Amino acid sequence: MSIDHPLMLPIKNIVTESPNIKTFMFDYNFYAEPGQFCMIWIPGVDEKPFGIVKREGQDFMITVAAIGVATKALHQMKTGDKVGFRGPYGSSFTIPARRSSIALVAGGYGIASLGYLAEEARKRDVHVHLFLGARTKKDLLYLEWMKNIGVELHLSTDDGSEGYKGFNVDLFKKYVETNSKFKVQNSKFDMVYTVGPEIMEMKIAEICYAHHIPFEVSIERYMKCGFGLCGQCCVDPVGWRMCVEGPVIDGEKLKQITEFGKYHRTASGKVEKYPWAK
Amino acid sequence: MIDLSVNLAGIKLKNPTILASGIMGVSASSLKFVEENGAGAVTIKSIGPTDRTGHKNPTVLAFDNRMVNAVGLSNPGVDTEVHIVKEAHERLNVPLIVSIFADTIDNFAVVADKLLETHPKIIELNLSCPNTDNEFGKMFALDADDTRKVITLVKKVTQGTDIKIFTKLTPEEEDFAELGKVVEDAGADGITTINTIFSMNIDIYSRKPILSNAYGGISGPAIKPVGIESVYTLYETVSIPIIGMGGILTGEDAIEYIMAGATAVGIGSGVYYRGIDIFQKVTSEIEDFMKKEGYKSIEEMRGIAHNS
Ligand SMILES: Cc1cc2nc3c(=O)[nH]c(=O)nc-3n(C[C@H](O)[C@H](O)[C@H](O)COP(=O)(O)OP(=O)(O)OC[C@H]3O[C@@H](n4cnc5c(N)ncnc54)[C@H](O)[C@@H]3O)c2cc1C
Ligand SMILES: Cc1cc2nc3c(=O)[nH]c(=O)nc-3n(C[C@H](O)[C@H](O)[C@H](O)COP(=O)(O)O)c2cc1C
Ligand code: FES
Repeated sequence: MSIDHPLMLPIKNIVTESPNIKTFMFDYNFYAEPGQFCMIWIPGVDEKPFGIVKREGQDFMITVAAIGVATKALHQMKTGDKVGFRGPYGSSFTIPARRSSIALVAGGYGIASLGYLAEEARKRDVHVHLFLGARTKKDLLYLEWMKNIGVELHLSTDDGSEGYKGFNVDLFKKYVETNSKFKVQNSKFDMVYTVGPEIMEMKIAEICYAHHIPFEVSIERYMKCGFGLCGQCCVDPVGWRMCVEGPVIDGEKLKQITEFGKYHRTASGKVEKYPWAK
Repeated sequence: MIDLSVNLAGIKLKNPTILASGIMGVSASSLKFVEENGAGAVTIKSIGPTDRTGHKNPTVLAFDNRMVNAVGLSNPGVDTEVHIVKEAHERLNVPLIVSIFADTIDNFAVVADKLLETHPKIIELNLSCPNTDNEFGKMFALDADDTRKVITLVKKVTQGTDIKIFTKLTPEEEDFAELGKVVEDAGADGITTINTIFSMNIDIYSRKPILSNAYGGISGPAIKPVGIESVYTLYETVSIPIIGMGGILTGEDAIEYIMAGATAVGIGSGVYYRGIDIFQKVTSEIEDFMKKEGYKSIEEMRGIAHNS
C-alpha cells in the first residue's frame, strides 16, 4: 500500500554529497523496493519525483541534484524542516539471483536507486560491478558506502581527475567487449541495470542488445499524480504509465517503447524531442 | 444472450463504460491502453485554445474514499491536439469523445472549428471545470445564459456534420433540472454529469493548502450519491441521453447510474481505486448482475428507478 496524500516528515539529516547534490534522510520506515520512487512536496513550491534509497541503519533517504526551482528550494531546507512524502510508486528492479554477477551503470543522481539495489544485491552475495561516471572526482557519489559493502568500482570522470578519463559508457563497453571473449568467473554479467541521463541509458541498452545481456533501465517521464491516473507519464506507442508499469523496464519490453531516447512529453503533454535525436 | 451494448445518441458502444475526461487521455497511446483494458468508449483530456502547463504539483491526491485534483486543464493546445485526435482515430476501435474547454464563449467555437477536420463523432463541452475558476471568472455551467450561448455557437460551427454535442455539467448549479432543460433546448445531443465538486485540503503542519492551486475538485466514491441524484433529476426533465459519472468503482455502481437514467457511464477515479482494467471488471460485474437478476439488455434497466 502506498501513501497517496502528503505525509509530513521532518528532515532528520542532510549530507552534502557533491557541489550540487545533497542527500536528505528521514526517520520513516516503509516497504519499498530498489527502483521505486516517491513524490516529495516542498510546501508552497512544488512536488517532484525522487528515487527511494534505503541503507543499513537508515530508514529512507533521497539524493537530489539541484537543477531547477523545486530541487534548489529543497537544497535550501534545513534539518527539522518538513516536506510531504507520498509513495512508494512504480515498478522495481529484479533482485539478482544469489551469487550472480551484475553491473550497475549510473550517471548523475542515477546512483540513488542503484545504490539501494547494490546493497540488496550484496546481502545475497552478488558480485556487483559499478560503472560510475561523473564530470569530476568531486561529483562521484556514494563511494564510501559502495566500497564498504564490497562493490567493485569502475570509475570514470570527464576530466580524468579520478579513474578512466571519459564516459562510463565507454568504460563499460570496453569491459564487456574484453570479458565476453574470456570465461573468467564473475566477469560476464548475468544482468545489467542502468539509471542516468537517457542518452547514456540508450547507449548502454545498445551495448547490452549487441552482447545479449539482459538488462533493466529506469525511464523518467514528467510525473503529476505518480499513481497511474493522470496519464501524463505514458509512453508511445504502448501507453504504459512510467509511474505504474515503469519506471523500471526490462530490455525486452523496452523494444516496444519507441519514444525511448527520442522524445518525452512536457507538463502540458506536448512532445519535446531530445537535442541529440534527429 | 446478454446484450451489453448501448446506443449513445446513435453511436454504438460495445459496453456502457466510458473513460472520463482528464484521466489517462493525454495521448493517442494512453487512450489506446485504456481501450485495451476494456472501455466501451474513451474521452480525451479536455482540449483548449492554447498550450497550458496546468498547475504545479501537487495536482492530484487520493484518500480512502475520494480524490482531489487541480491539474489545471493542462494540454498542448488545439493546433497540436488536432494531430493527437487524428492519430487516436486511426488507432482506436472504440468511439472517441473529444472534450473541449475555452476561456471565452467565442473560443469554444474556435476550438470546435479547428477540430472539424478530425471528424469527431462526439464533442463534449467542458463547461464545468472547477480548477480554473479564478482565471476565467465564473464557471460557464453556473450560468444558464452562458451555457446556452456556448451550445448555440458550437452547434452553428458543426452545422451540416453529424457531430453530436454533449455538455458536461456540474451539480453545483442550484436549479439543475432547469439547466438541463436549457441545454436540451439549445440543441445539445446529450449531457455528461457530474464533474468534480469544489473542495480544499489544508496541511496543518505547513499551514498551507496542499494543492498548489489551493482549490480543487473532489471525485471518487464520496461523490457518487451526488452523481446519482443529478442523473435522476435530469432524467425526469430531459429526454437527451445522459453519460452518468462520479464515483463508479463497481458494476453495481454503474447499474445504479443506469437505473437512475444514464445511457452510459463514465469512469475516472476508479482507475486509481481498481486499476487500469476497471473497465473490464465493471463490464463483467454488470453482466454478472444481469444474469443473476434476469435482465437481457442494458436498455431494460435504464431509468427503472423512476417507475416505482
Ligand atoms: C521516477 C523518477 C525518479 C527520479 N529520481 C531522482 C532522484 O533520485 N534524484 C534527483 O535529483 N532527481 C530525480 N528525478 C528527477 C527530478 O524529479 C527532477 O530533477 C525534478 O523534478 C526537477 O524539478 P525542478 O523544479 O528542480 O526543476 P525544473 O526546472 O522544473 O525541471 C528541470 C527538468 O526536470 C524534469 N522534471 C521537472 N519536473 C518533473 C516532474 N514533475 N516529473 C518528472 N520530471 C520532471 C524535466 O525534464 C525538466 O526539464 C527523478 C525523476 C523521475 C521521473
Ligand atoms: C485528475 C482528474 C482530472 C480531470 N480532468 C478533467 C478534464 O480535463 N475535463 C473534464 O471534463 N473533466 C475532468 N475531470 C472530471 C472527471 O471527468 C469526472 O467528471 C469526475 O472525476 C467524476 O468521476 P469519477 O468519480 O469517476 O472520477 C477530471 C477528474 C480528475 C480526477
Ligand atoms: S504521473 Fe499520473 S499517470 Fe503517471
